[in-house]
Amino acid sequence: MAQPQPEDTETSLIDQAQNGDRNAFGELVRRHYQGVVLVVYRMCGDAGMAEDAAQEAFMRAWVNLPSYQPRSCLRNWLYRIAINAALDVLRRKPEERLEDEQVLMVTDQTAGPETALIEKEQVALLQQAMQSLPEAARSVLVLREYGHLSYQEIASVLDVPVGTVMSRLNYGRNRLRETLICHEAKTEKEYA
Amino acid sequence: MHEDMRILLNAFLDGELRGRRLQKMQTHLASCEACQNELKELRLVSNLLQAGSAPEALPTERFVSQLTLSLPRRPQRDRSLRPGSLTGWLVPAGLLGAWFFVQTVFALTNMITAANMTGLLGNAERWLGGWQMSIWFSAAANLFGGQAVGTLPTLSLLNNVSVFGANLLSGFLWQAVIVLFYWAWLFIWWLRRGPRPMKMQKAS
Repeated sequence: MAQPQPEDTETSLIDQAQNGDRNAFGELVRRHYQGVVLVVYRMCGDAGMAEDAAQEAFMRAWVNLPSYQPRSCLRNWLYRIAINAALDVLRRKPEERLEDEQVLMVTDQTAGPETALIEKEQVALLQQAMQSLPEAARSVLVLREYGHLSYQEIASVLDVPVGTVMSRLNYGRNRLRETLICHEAKTEKEYA
Repeated sequence: MHEDMRILLNAFLDGELRGRRLQKMQTHLASCEACQNELKELRLVSNLLQAGSAPEALPTERFVSQLTLSLPRRPQRDRSLRPGSLTGWLVPAGLLGAWFFVQTVFALTNMITAANMTGLLGNAERWLGGWQMSIWFSAAANLFGGQAVGTLPTLSLLNNVSVFGANLLSGFLWQAVIVLFYWAWLFIWWLRRGPRPMKMQKAS
């Protein structure tokens, strides 16, 4: 079997992988790994569970690849499987949730240490709040914020109307906004 | 007005508003301080969510090599019957062509028979190979003489009806055979198309 080249188009890699070429599938995984891991991590809120979910997602993708129609975007198809895998992993191991919440963030180097600390606190708070959102709202928020999908794409990934995507996103972001406002009010009270 | 615009703030933030709705939102935002503040807060939420970087997961190469080693075997499928492949479409296209041909031939035959019955063809009847006779009519013609039988209008009419009916029946049989072949192809295609597409679970 010929080794896939980096310049191979996604369509030809999909075609080869559909015919059982593991190397071609490996190249596809290489291209989409970061995106899928980010999505499942934000769904699970735990690095270990995210790794399990990512592995399961790619396994399912391999098994179901022959039925994949190249008409739809592979990334969106993988995200759909990834969201399902993450939800399954969460249902299997709910007790592990939030135990290993990591707050890794890209801090603004120009900001002062105090600002960076506040920002870090806010990020941690929002990520925890996101884990408390209902799965439906969280899926939409994750696909929008980390998958960078359009509303139409989210609707097709989750198999819901665009109006539902909009209402779930409104609900999710507003819940997080309220959490942030409450936190700020609490902090101000403490310093007053 | 304010509430109508408020529910569209997220769509505006995500660049999902177009045309008149976008213009209306921009006009509303210019004059509504509450919406300006809410948009600022929503933007902050979005920025903070994205400030969190990727998790410390396995490095890509290690993950890929582990995964490719543990991939299950997948049965090789016959590509000739894959949906969308050329050969996969040749069978139904051929059957459709055959059905169209049979329909045309029998429609023309019936039209000619009907025209012949009503005498519309006149002298062209000879040019078309003579008068079509059913089995019983040709037997009667052999027994009593073709001219004698041919001149009886009731018998001639019955003969024409028999010929017309026989044509219809054979047309129907041909079509039934083609439909049976098509169903067989559909069944084989369904059997060989492999795993079904994944269905999204409804997030509760």
